[in-house]
Amino acid sequence: MNSVSSRTPRFVRIGALLGVVFLALPVVGLLKRVAWSTLCRQLTDVATRDALRISLYASVCATVLALVLGLPLAWCLARMQFSGRRFVRALVLLPMVLPPVVGGVALLGAYGKSNGLLGGLLNSLFGIQLTYSLWGVIVAEAFVALPFLVLSLEGGLRSIDVKYEESAAVMGATDFTRFMRVTLPLLKPSLIAGLMLAWARALGEFGATITFAGNIQGRTQTAPLAVYTMLESNPEGAYALSFLLVAISVGLLVGLRDRWIGGSSQ
Amino acid sequence: MISLHGTVEVGSFSREFSIDVGNEIVGMFGANGSGKTSVLRTIAGLCPLGNGELKLGDDLVDAPAKNMFVLPEMRNIGMVFQDHSLFPFMTAVDNAAFPLLMRGVKRAPAVKMAAEMLEQFGVAHVAQHMAPTLSGGQSQRVAIVRALIGSPSAVLLDEPLSAIDEASREGVRNHIREHLVRLGVSAIVVSHDRTELDHLCTRIENYTR
Repeated sequence: MNSVSSRTPRFVRIGALLGVVFLALPVVGLLKRVAWSTLCRQLTDVATRDALRISLYASVCATVLALVLGLPLAWCLARMQFSGRRFVRALVLLPMVLPPVVGGVALLGAYGKSNGLLGGLLNSLFGIQLTYSLWGVIVAEAFVALPFLVLSLEGGLRSIDVKYEESAAVMGATDFTRFMRVTLPLLKPSLIAGLMLAWARALGEFGATITFAGNIQGRTQTAPLAVYTMLESNPEGAYALSFLLVAISVGLLVGLRDRWIGGSSQ
Repeated sequence: MISLHGTVEVGSFSREFSIDVGNEIVGMFGANGSGKTSVLRTIAGLCPLGNGELKLGDDLVDAPAKNMFVLPEMRNIGMVFQDHSLFPFMTAVDNAAFPLLMRGVKRAPAVKMAAEMLEQFGVAHVAQHMAPTLSGGQSQRVAIVRALIGSPSAVLLDEPLSAIDEASREGVRNHIREHLVRLGVSAIVVSHDRTELDHLCTRIENYTR
């Protein structure tokens, strides 16, 4: 216990303590502002209920969309050698570092009804309009959530020993069977972690959503947008909804604890 | 019938082989690095031949010059891997039943047959245990069952008895031979233990460099 590395200098301890206070203070502040006696009534208010319903539906759909697009991407990035791999990788990570508002502007450029690259075509061929619609919310959320899922799945796929898939092939398992019965079970931890992260990111999305899909109550107003809107008109409701979102986030952390908190792995 | 005439290439390793196996158990003897495992991987279809031809029965399955390569899942081979490669997320009996499921056998009869064969090989008591909890010897016996259970037309055994204790080797060996004779297939056993091969095989090829 007396080795140099096990002695923590005082200034490090003080720094760490300040860090803890910095992170904890806003949470305490939020909890202090919640009006507990009216919490239930606030959360069942029409605008709040609408926002929660839209948030839940859109974030789940966005996570599914991210999975459908992200799993093949992660597979190719982890297991294929192709020219342009670095470029695809950078592209996948872009929504992670891009300011969300800019992501929303970019989505307008692609799917905007009148002057987007694909938006006009989608509208005239199928009558689909993404902007200012629930589908727009889903697309915006999937756009920002995708990198989290791809990163998690790519890491998982890389860490799988190919010997299991090889032995499955020798035993007669075809590509699809091998994927479903061997790769997927081995990938399960990364898949669950990736889905939870992507869903959390989708649920919290603000910038891209408000830019691309707008802030229409009952149609595109998600819970974070509702918090922002209510902060002026109905602060009690804003804090109540915020509290609920904090509770969901904490729930996610508990779900992920084996992976990141106090875990021996990674 | 296994007939391999050509260059086995795995990574930087490369060596000419000329092997013909009829309905017999051929032992391949040689030191580490002589390419024994690479030969088995090539026959199974996990590594393509560098050049030459590989036939299983009457079928040409690998011939680079003719642009011919049959995927491993189409070759009907039973193989014991050196490190067993049991699926860690399955029980012993589910591991053993896997080749049957791949051949279209329904789950209930497949599991029943796997359980019976695990019993023959003395590991019935761990049938419901997850693969990672098995001892080296137990997991090797499950791997042997897995290699034999699907009625393969060729069997490849890579150090199949290395983890099994001296006292029970003879029993396991006899069971392996019994099954190979019953299946009437070509089998190749790879080992660096000459005595082991003498006991199990009908013929031994020496590949010491």
